[in-house]
Amino acid sequence: MKVSFNWLKTMVDLTGISPEEAAEKLTSAGVECEGLTHLATGTNLVVGEILQCSPVEGSDHLHLLQVDEGNKYGIVQIVCGAPNARAGLKVIVARPGAVLAEDKKIEKGTIKGIESDGMCCSLLELGVDRKYLSEKQIAGIEELPKEAKPGDEEVLSFLGLDDTVLELSVLPSRPDILSVENVARELSVLFERPFKEETKTLEGTFETAYAPKSETPLCPQFSLIEVRGLENGPSPLWLRRRLEGSGIRSIDKIVDIGNYVMLLTGRPLNMYDADKVKGKSLTAKLATPGPWKGMDEKTYELSGKEIGIYDEENNLACLAGILTSDEARVDEKTKNVLVECAYFDGVAIRRATVTLGLSSDSSTRFVRGIDPTRAERTLGYVATLFKELCEAKEISKPNTYDEIGREKTVIPFTSDYINKRLGTDILEEEIVALLKRDGLEIEKDGSGLKAIVPSYRLDLKEACDLSEEVIRLLGYDAIKSTFPKMELSLGGLTPYQQKRRSIRNFLTSRGLIEALTYSLVGEKEKDDYAYFGAKESYSLLNPLSPERKFLRKSLLPSLLLSASYNLSHQNEDFALFEVSDIDGVNYQGEHLAIVALGEEHLMGRLKRRPYDFYYVKGLFEAILGILGITPSRLAIAPLSKDEAGEDFHPYRSVKVSLGKKTVGVFGEPHPKARDRYGLGKTPAALLELDLKALLEVPTGNKKAAVPPRFPKIRRDLSLLIDEKVSAASLLTAAKKASALIKEAEVFDVYEGKGLPEGKKSVALCFFLYDETKTLREEEAAEAMQKAEAALLRLGAEVRS
Amino acid sequence: MEEKEIREAALKAIGDSKDLKSLEEVRISYLGKKGSVAALMARIKDLDPAERGAYGAKINGLRNEVEGAYNQKKTELEKEALEQKLKEEAIDLSLPGYEFRQGYRHPYHLIIDEVTAIFADLGFEVKEGRDVETEDYNFTYLNVPKDHPAREMQDTFYLEQGGLLLRTQTSAEQAHAMQEKFDKGPIKMICPGKTYRRDDDDPTHSHQFGQIEGLLIGKDISMADLKGTLELFVKRMFGEKRSIRFRSSYFPFTEPSVEVDVSCAKCGGKGCQMCKGTGYIEILGAGEVHPAVLRHGGYDPDVYSGFAFGVGIERVAMLRYGIDDIRRFYQNDVRFLKSF
Ligand SMILES: [Zn+2]
Repeated sequence: MKVSFNWLKTMVDLTGISPEEAAEKLTSAGVECEGLTHLATGTNLVVGEILQCSPVEGSDHLHLLQVDEGNKYGIVQIVCGAPNARAGLKVIVARPGAVLAEDKKIEKGTIKGIESDGMCCSLLELGVDRKYLSEKQIAGIEELPKEAKPGDEEVLSFLGLDDTVLELSVLPSRPDILSVENVARELSVLFERPFKEETKTLEGTFETAYAPKSETPLCPQFSLIEVRGLENGPSPLWLRRRLEGSGIRSIDKIVDIGNYVMLLTGRPLNMYDADKVKGKSLTAKLATPGPWKGMDEKTYELSGKEIGIYDEENNLACLAGILTSDEARVDEKTKNVLVECAYFDGVAIRRATVTLGLSSDSSTRFVRGIDPTRAERTLGYVATLFKELCEAKEISKPNTYDEIGREKTVIPFTSDYINKRLGTDILEEEIVALLKRDGLEIEKDGSGLKAIVPSYRLDLKEACDLSEEVIRLLGYDAIKSTFPKMELSLGGLTPYQQKRRSIRNFLTSRGLIEALTYSLVGEKEKDDYAYFGAKESYSLLNPLSPERKFLRKSLLPSLLLSASYNLSHQNEDFALFEVSDIDGVNYQGEHLAIVALGEEHLMGRLKRRPYDFYYVKGLFEAILGILGITPSRLAIAPLSKDEAGEDFHPYRSVKVSLGKKTVGVFGEPHPKARDRYGLGKTPAALLELDLKALLEVPTGNKKAAVPPRFPKIRRDLSLLIDEKVSAASLLTAAKKASALIKEAEVFDVYEGKGLPEGKKSVALCFFLYDETKTLREEEAAEAMQKAEAALLRLGAEVRS
Repeated sequence: MEEKEIREAALKAIGDSKDLKSLEEVRISYLGKKGSVAALMARIKDLDPAERGAYGAKINGLRNEVEGAYNQKKTELEKEALEQKLKEEAIDLSLPGYEFRQGYRHPYHLIIDEVTAIFADLGFEVKEGRDVETEDYNFTYLNVPKDHPAREMQDTFYLEQGGLLLRTQTSAEQAHAMQEKFDKGPIKMICPGKTYRRDDDDPTHSHQFGQIEGLLIGKDISMADLKGTLELFVKRMFGEKRSIRFRSSYFPFTEPSVEVDVSCAKCGGKGCQMCKGTGYIEILGAGEVHPAVLRHGGYDPDVYSGFAFGVGIERVAMLRYGIDDIRRFYQNDVRFLKSF
C-alpha cells in the first residue's frame, strides 16, 4: 500500500523524523517499507510569469521569453521550446544550478546564439509519474494557476508535490495497516508521538427514505446516507495529490471522495446514483446466477455465490465489494448519491474475485478483514467532504442495518508467560505500558492480567500474540542470545541416510556429475522407464502447463531430458546422476538414476571408452559393494522384449530383482528412446535403482577371511562355443565341477573372422587350491578334466 | 707382427670400435684364443729358455694393457648403449594423465549437506518427509484454517487424487515429527526437501524449490534460544564475523514471527549493492511455535514450547555462489555444474 508522508503528518506529529527513519522503524516492527518515492524533485525552482514571448529567428519552435521571477531575481531571459509558452502564463522556472529528477542539472546556456538564464519545466521533468499527467502536461511546460506568485520559491509545496510516498508491504496479519489512519497510529506508537484522529464528521439533517437491508449473513452490516443536490466535477488539487500519493488516479469528486475516505479509514465505500436506483431500498443477498454487465462494460457470468446489492425492482446495482453496475454508477451529471458502507464476508468476496477474475482496492480490504466499528464515523467523514467539495444541499443521517457482533477480544495473560516466550526479563510495568501505548486496555485479572483489544487489531487473539506486540514495539534487539537447555538426544544421520550419502560420494568420486531435475513431467514422459512399484502417477488438478502435470514415477525421463539439453548445447561425454524421492499412488520410494552420454575420457581424448552396458553394470556392482549386499541375494536377468519395450535395447539391458520385486534396471537405450529424447547416435548407458529397497536390505556383520596357506595353481582353457551361451554360465559350470576350483574368470572373448558361423571363442582361467595341503599336479589335472567335461555338456569344444 | 705394432693396432681398433659388437670382434682378433696376442705368446716355445721369462712378462704386459683398454671401452660402450636404449623409451610427458577426476556435486545438495552437517553436530535429527502431503499436514496442523488465502488454488498444486497436494513448505514435516514423537519428550529436527508453488518459472521464481525446516521443542524454549541457535548456525555457515538481526514478520505457525537477516558478507554491514544498501541480507524466516501447532501435534502448549525456522536452499546457494537465475539449478547444464 502506498501512503503519503504528508498525509500521515496531519494525524501524527512527525517533526524531526524523516521518511527514511519512519520507513526503517516500520520495517523492523513488521510493517515493511519496500520503497520510498518522492512525488517530485527539484532544487532552485521559482514561480515565473512570462511577460513577453517572441519567436526565435531561424527556429520553427523556439521562443525567447522575458520572465518575471519576482523581486529577488527580477526579469530574466529564457529560450524555451514548449508549444504552450505564451505571454501571461505562470510557469515553473528551474534557475541555473537547479537539479531536477534523474539528476538533470540546469546551467546558464546559449541557444542559437541567445543567452538563456534557466529553463521552464514540465512536471515530467520534475519526476512526476507520467500516469498522473495529461497529454498536454507531458508535451509542454506546466501551466500554473493564476494564484501562483512570481518569485515564490516553494514551488513543490505550492503544487502539493513536496511529498514522499511510502510503499508498505502489508502482512496478512495486519489488515488494519490498509488504512492511512492506522499507519499514522502505528507511527505514533513506534515513535511515542501523539496521535490525532480525523474528526471531521458531519451529522446528517434528515432521515433518509432509503433503507439498507440484508438477506444474507454474509452481509451483517449495511449503512447508507443519502446526499442530495451536489455538483460533481474535477477534484481540487489537494485531493488529487493525496490520491496520487496513494497510487490512485483521480476520476471526479464523487469517486475520489469514496476512495479518499476508504484509504483513510480502511472501510470501503460504494456510490450509487440515487436517481438510477429503482425504489427506496438496497438489499444485500446472494446474486442470481447468470450474465451481468459491470460498470467496466464487461459481462460476467455470476455463479450465485457472490453477494449482490439489489434495488427494489431486483436490479443488481452492485456486486458487493467488487464492482458497481453500469446502470447504477455515478457519472458527471449525478446530482443525488447513495453512499454505502457495509461489512461483507471476506471469504465470499475472495471467492468472487477469484471466479470472476476481478479485484479492487475495496475487495482487497474485505478479503483481508475490516474493522466493523467504523461505519457511521466513516459516513460522517464522507458527508463532510460532500458538503465541502460538492456543495451538497442536503445530507441525511445514516440509515443502518446492523447485526454484527461487537464483543471485544479479551486476552488473559501474565508477564511471566510473555517473558518465558521471549526469553527476556521485562518488568510487568513496562509490558503494561507498551501494550497500552499500542491501544490495548490492560486490567488486573485475578493474579494475572487481561488485555482488551481495540476493534481494528483483528490479529490479536491469544497471549502469544501479545508477546509479539511487546517485542515488536520494544525492538528485537532486546532479546539476548541463549541456548536451549534440554535433555541429551542422539541426532545426526540415520544409517539409511549415511549409506545414501556414501553412494553419492562414491559416484562423484568416479567423475559423475550430480543433477537436480523437476519432479513434474508431461504426458509424454510419465510412463517411460516406469519399472518400479508406482503403477499410477499422481496428477495435478491445476497444472501450470501440460508438460508439468504428472508426478514422475521414474527418474530416467527427467535425466534423459537434461542429457538431451546438454547435447543440444554441444556438451558431450558426461555422466549425470540423481537421487530423489519418487511418489506415486500407493508408492513412496527413493531412486537413483544415471545417464551417461558419449565417451568416458580415460586419458583426455587420447584414450576414451564409450559409455555402454558394462559402465553402468560396473557402477551397479560397486554400489552393491558399498552397501555390503552379496550379489547372490539379487537376481539379475535380461529384460524380456516386452519389458524392454521402447525404453531399453532388448539385448543390452537387464533387470535386477530382490525376491519378486524389481529393484533395478540398467543398460543401453532403445533406438526409439534415442529418438524420443534426441540422443542421436551418441553412445549412452542408463541405470535406475530402487535405492530405498537396496538401502533397506539387511546386511550381516563383516567377517574376516583367512588367507589360504597353500600355493594356488593356474590353468587356462580356450573354448569354442555357441555365441548365445553366456560367459557366466561357463564359469558356474566349471566351478561346480570341482571344489578345488576356487576362482574362475574370463580373460578373452572373440567373435568374428576365422570362426564358424554362430560361434565364439572364449578363454577362461582357473585358480585351484586346497585349503588343507599343497595341491599336486595330478589333482589339478583331475579337477580340470571334470571342468572340461562339464563345459562339453554345455556344447563347448575345447581348443587348447 | 711384432709386439709394438700389435699394441698400436689393438689399441687403435679398440678405440675405433663404435659398438659392443665390433668391440667383441676386436677382442676376439687380439685377445681370443686364436688372436694376435695368443699368437705372440705361442712364439715363446721357439725362444731360448733364458729369454722366455722376460718375453712372457712382456707379452703379458701387452695382454693386460689391451685388456684394460678393452674393459674400459666396453664399460663406455655399455653405458652408451643403455643411454641409447632409454632414449628410445622417451615419451611425450605433456600428454594428459589417466583420469581420476572427481565429479561434481550439485549446488543445491552442497547447501543441504552443509546445513545438515551443522545441525547434526548440534544433535538435530534429519527427517525428510514426502513431497505429496495432505491438506491437514500442509495447512490445518500449521494453523492455516480452511478458507485461508494461503490455501488458494493459484498458489498450491492440488492433486486429482483427493485431499492431497504437493507440499508448499517443509513446515509440513512439523506435525509429523510431533505426532511420531508424541509426548516422548523433546524434538530437535531439521527437514530438507523439495517444495512446490504454483509460480511461473523466471529468474527468481520456480515452481519447485528447496527448503530446510528446523524445529526444536522442549520446555521453556524461547525466542532467545532461537537467536542463540541461529547465531551459531550463521557463524558456521557464513563466517565468524557475521551477525544476525530479527525483524517482525508473520507466519501462521509461529508467534512471534521474524525474518532473520544476516549482516552482509560483502560490506560487513555498511551497505553495498549486494545488500541493497541495508547492510543486511534476508536469509530465513523463524519464530516461536504457535500454541495451536503444538496442540495439533499432541504437545501441551502449557508444558512445551519451541521454535521453528525455514531456510530457502536455492536462495542461500544463489548468495553463496553468485548464481543469477534459479532455473539454472534445474537445467543441469554441465558447464554450470562443473563449477562446483
Ligand atoms: Zn552489503
